[in-house]
Amino acid sequence: MASTNTQWGMVIDVDKCIGCQGCVVACQSENNIPINTEDLFNQRRAIEWIRVERYWEGEFPDVKARFIPILCQHCNDAPCEPVCPVFATYHNNEGMNVQVYNRCIGTRFCANNCPYHVRFFNFWEPEWPETLTNQLNPDVTVRSRGIMEKCTFCIQRIRRTSREAARDGEELSDDSRELNPACVNACPTDTLFFGDLNDPDSKVAKLAKEEMSDDGRGYHLMPQYGTSPNVIYLKKVDESTKDSNGSHE
Amino acid sequence: MLPGDFQPPKRPTGRRIALFGALGLGGVVGLVVVVVIATFVISAWLGLPLDAFGLNEGPDQPIAFPHPTHVEDLGLDCTFCHRNVTVGAAATIPAVGFCMSCHITVGDDKPEVEKLRNFHTSGIPVDWVRVHRVPDHVNFVHEPHIRHFSEQYGGASGTCQLCHGDVGSMVKVQQVRSLKMGDCVDCHRDNEAPTDCTTCHY
Repeated sequence: MASTNTQWGMVIDVDKCIGCQGCVVACQSENNIPINTEDLFNQRRAIEWIRVERYWEGEFPDVKARFIPILCQHCNDAPCEPVCPVFATYHNNEGMNVQVYNRCIGTRFCANNCPYHVRFFNFWEPEWPETLTNQLNPDVTVRSRGIMEKCTFCIQRIRRTSREAARDGEELSDDSRELNPACVNACPTDTLFFGDLNDPDSKVAKLAKEEMSDDGRGYHLMPQYGTSPNVIYLKKVDESTKDSNGSHE
Repeated sequence: MLPGDFQPPKRPTGRRIALFGALGLGGVVGLVVVVVIATFVISAWLGLPLDAFGLNEGPDQPIAFPHPTHVEDLGLDCTFCHRNVTVGAAATIPAVGFCMSCHITVGDDKPEVEKLRNFHTSGIPVDWVRVHRVPDHVNFVHEPHIRHFSEQYGGASGTCQLCHGDVGSMVKVQQVRSLKMGDCVDCHRDNEAPTDCTTCHY
């Protein structure tokens, strides 16, 4: 088992994101998320634990596409947690915001209180086409109708990897593909990094230390809400905004 | 006749006798129903069938597999057949082919062994009746439990008894612990194992 001073976190380098949606597909298949149809999107009931938001910037022909992957920020001061009447969502000792499916009674207060729109409600019993029922991940609960779900940082992978590391007497390594969430593994451009923010040798801790300093690119999503997320974003840097010294503004 | 004078009781009419009879019969039936329901409620509360009237006896299996013969007489370890228990989530029941590695020569003229050989020749897996089942929404993994207790209880096989009871002496395997969440959490607390929800629920 992971030690109690673990603080799982993610660093997302928006500069590298090409908006390929690989992370989205990986997440959907890893976590038994039902297929989102056009209907569901129109009803605003699509379930995507991670999504890639696209923004257009500028006028044609100088138009630029901006991508930003958004997932549960696993806030340390999460707005979703205090509003749950049954403690179905809470902060665990590994720095993760956790949803306990069998406690949830479906009030949806947490989704209303989340500024990032990363909590999703199962309005219907999830269904898969006949051809896909055999690809469900047995390590992940299929969430039934009437309960909330959200990104778990692929906790089933963390649990399995830490268990197997303990069994074989090995150290957990944040380089291991088995530990990393599905989205991190799927990313072709290494946009996403995952690891223990409390371990000074981990990739994410180094990036966080370097980039959250005054001249770094790091920022939190919507800092005005004071949620202190465990997900750090790194700013996009355009060639055109670089000054003559080669550094950005 | 003055008020308060003794009056002999009236002879009850046939209708009244029938009415009281029906009421009495209804009461007896009602009592039986209440007892039956109470048995189920108490069993559910304990998480185990009541230890009376043979209610807690294990289910009949397609082959009456005798654990005592294999464990007590032959001295096989639990892990000899349930091989995955020290490695992964499920303890696993051995395939028929594995049984046949002995029973191809051992146990002639025994009807249960004959059943096993029939399963083997027809290529149909044995449809064992499941005895132990943790509640829904639980990701239970055998391996860390075996690992934690192995040193204390002398190897993997000594550990199994903690939850499964002395299966080695059971002719019919039955559940001995409730294996409900309270049972799990109590043991986790005693052994300083994590009690975070996501230890088991995800």
